Amino acid sequence: MTHRRPMIARRSVARRLAVVCAGAAALALGACAHKSKTGPTSSGGGATTSAGFDAAVPGSDQKKGGTLKLLSTESFEHLDPGAAYFQLDFMIEFATQRSLYYYKPQDAKTPVPDLADGPPTVAADNKTVTVKLKHGVKYGTNDTSSSVNGKEVKAADVKYALERGFNPSVANGYVATYFKSIVGADKAKGADLAGITTPDDYTIVFKLTQPLGATVAKALVMAITMPVPKSYAAKFDAKQPNEYDAHPEKQAFSGPYMIKSSAPGKSLTLVRNPNWDPATDDRPAYADQIEWTLGADPNVSGRQILTGTGVVNGDTPTAASIKRFATTAKDQISFSPQGNRFVNINTQKKPFSDLNVRKAFAAALDRKAMQLTRGGSLVGDVATHFLPPSLAGFDEAGGVDGPGADYLANPSGDPALAASYMKKAGYSSGKYDGPAIRMLGENSSPAKETSAVVRRALESLGFKVNLTSVEQSAFYSKFCDVVSQLKKIDVCANYGWLPDFADPYAMLNANFNGESIVPVNNSNASLFDDKKVNAAMDKAALIADPAERAKAWGDVDRELVANVAAVPWFWDNIPNIRSKDVHGVIAQWNAAWDLSYMSLK
Amino acid sequence: MVRYIIRRLLWMVVLLAIVSTVAFMIFYALPSADPAVLRAGRQGTPELIAQIRHNLGLDQPLYVQYFTYMKAIVLHFDFGYSYQNSANVREQIMSRLPATISLTGGAVVVWLAIGLPIGIISAIKRRTPLDRMTMGGALLAISAPVYWLGLVALYLFSRDIGVIPLFAGANSYQPLTQNPAAWFDSLLLPWLVLAASFAAFYARLLRSNLIEVMSEDYIRTARAKGLSERRVVLRHGVRAAITPIVTVLGLDIGILLGGAILTESVFNIPGVGRFAFDAIGRADLPVIQGTVLFGAFFIIVANIVVDIGYAFLDPRVRYS
Repeated sequence: MTHRRPMIARRSVARRLAVVCAGAAALALGACAHKSKTGPTSSGGGATTSAGFDAAVPGSDQKKGGTLKLLSTESFEHLDPGAAYFQLDFMIEFATQRSLYYYKPQDAKTPVPDLADGPPTVAADNKTVTVKLKHGVKYGTNDTSSSVNGKEVKAADVKYALERGFNPSVANGYVATYFKSIVGADKAKGADLAGITTPDDYTIVFKLTQPLGATVAKALVMAITMPVPKSYAAKFDAKQPNEYDAHPEKQAFSGPYMIKSSAPGKSLTLVRNPNWDPATDDRPAYADQIEWTLGADPNVSGRQILTGTGVVNGDTPTAASIKRFATTAKDQISFSPQGNRFVNINTQKKPFSDLNVRKAFAAALDRKAMQLTRGGSLVGDVATHFLPPSLAGFDEAGGVDGPGADYLANPSGDPALAASYMKKAGYSSGKYDGPAIRMLGENSSPAKETSAVVRRALESLGFKVNLTSVEQSAFYSKFCDVVSQLKKIDVCANYGWLPDFADPYAMLNANFNGESIVPVNNSNASLFDDKKVNAAMDKAALIADPAERAKAWGDVDRELVANVAAVPWFWDNIPNIRSKDVHGVIAQWNAAWDLSYMSLK
Repeated sequence: MVRYIIRRLLWMVVLLAIVSTVAFMIFYALPSADPAVLRAGRQGTPELIAQIRHNLGLDQPLYVQYFTYMKAIVLHFDFGYSYQNSANVREQIMSRLPATISLTGGAVVVWLAIGLPIGIISAIKRRTPLDRMTMGGALLAISAPVYWLGLVALYLFSRDIGVIPLFAGANSYQPLTQNPAAWFDSLLLPWLVLAASFAAFYARLLRSNLIEVMSEDYIRTARAKGLSERRVVLRHGVRAAITPIVTVLGLDIGILLGGAILTESVFNIPGVGRFAFDAIGRADLPVIQGTVLFGAFFIIVANIVVDIGYAFLDPRVRYS
């Protein structure tokens, strides 16, 4: 699955996707073009897509009761809502806690109020965001004698939740990015933030230093807005490591479920939160109990899900499992479009500082072959631009066909066109004749095979390629996210990004805004810094009107393609599998099961 | 003997210190991930990364980090906490040790119970069809990778996904203290799978040793004295031939207690090996260090036990 680890081999994406398609050689399922973007053909339980796959949407015939079981190879990282930043973690967070806003399973574009009592109010100057909270939302704890058990959620708890995100003992990975415009956030270390006020128990106000209210309002779906009562959690936050994270069963839970027990790397059990009031929540919370087994072998668990009862996958199935389900149990597998993968090329260093060389590389790249390295069309489409189909701005940027760049027109590559661009760049033979270039790739499948295709494209243009292959986490944290290293690297072959929330800002700004280039943990691996495009992004981030915003970000996407800021090649389609007796419901925004909507048949 | 044991125990401390230093240096020498960056997430700011680095002590010189780490172990038996999920490493290892001990202990019993009789029978029935059949089978068992064998065994014999439902399947491990019957049931198949190649190896090793021993003069003398063949083989032959087996057994037990990674993975037995394997992929230094030290500890202790065991098995060996 997608962990803010790549959606992509999942450690590369903004937030991590759980590991995908382990060992995937091509699935050879090219004929089964995925149709997951099409709607279900029937409503209620057993709804399928037009291709026969499970639509995995809520039904009218779902019923309460039973124990739902999940199997995953990967383990959780952080179950503290202030620290969670991984696909699996979010599956638990959004079942046990409530954020200000959330996405309903089948709509990853429209946030709806959860703790909030209505949509956020963004002031005319775009510098103040006000949110009203619901009454009657209460905490549940495993220790029923706890002072916070049964206590009502107050605005101050949401304020503290955001403030503690800046506390190094919580170390939230995105709060300083999406909430940096809150007054005082630039120097925040976890103490009181002047820019967040609570005029009363049910109102929270964000005051911003810049007119970024529309973007902050979008980010209120993130787990960092899940309430944490200061009087209860401060003692945990004072410890290193933070006990709210190390012992998640001690948390105060606002959602329909509570973490009853957690054995890191082994198992996790959720039970109903007795203080959860369904009258305040749209989520049905069908299952009585949810048991998650961690560390399962993916080959074995795929078969157990197929033949077992009440079981679903927790992370991405293996290529063999996907193939088996897609051919023998189509109604037990579903696909969710999520995120994007692209090849980064160093736009500040010769030879790729030359736009024509970048275009030549894009034209030479066999994206169809790259798609096959990940499992074929069933698990993703060949990308023609950067915004994936799940985000606003996708259609405005050209939809499936893309903006119309000739160098991305042929998914199998166009050697003649590539040679013509090389000639335009001054290489009269159509081949590069300079010194060798350095490329970074990953050393495990399927990214390893993807790198091989990239290398072949470069070599077809005459490049001598020195390839360094490393383990996935090192690919990012030691090389392609470190500017001092990037200055010595020409191509980062295996990059991917899963947006944190359903807004094009979360997809494009971090990857291609010149202001995002920072010495360490840099996510602009192409070192792309174009003043015109930067200004367009800064402007688009300020727009509140949804249609105008989508248009503005669609235009940004077109500009990025025109400048070949990187070469987009894959829009992922994340597979999820279930046993026959499970009514699966996918949270499209997370490309994973929505535990609060799942039920047993 | 006591002085010998004390000397070996002191050497154990030195060896563990060397192992910890090497593991520490390898972690920093190889291009593994930066723990602070991993902890901060993909959107973590440089300031946050610096703070995390400070909190984790990663901004200290390497020798200070190492000294701090070793001091915590020596004084408090504290192995730190996981960079990955903030869990206490010592607690994690201790909670996983029973599973690893269960898996190793049971497998040792199985492979000795199968391997030793086969080795003896093959040696005394040399060049018979029975010998050829058992040694051929042993060769097959040695050649089968554990992971593959585990998968095949599950697909054939597990009750949930197997063709012939005989044994409990993967993900079914239960601690002995919780449910002894379920514990036994869940480990039967893993024991057989893990023991297969070991049993084969031990059978071949014992066979070759015993064949050699049985041609010694003292065996001829024993026979000349009129001892029964059974007594000659078991009392005089096997006792001498088994010494190398004890050496290997000690090492094998030590290594497996450090983690039978593949068997633990395929059957999802939450043991130390799987814990270490996951940690390596995530650059989780405290867990890597902790599991490496535990593994080294078991191997060294097993060696000491083996050396002491020699004195009882072989009258020629005396320690002073």
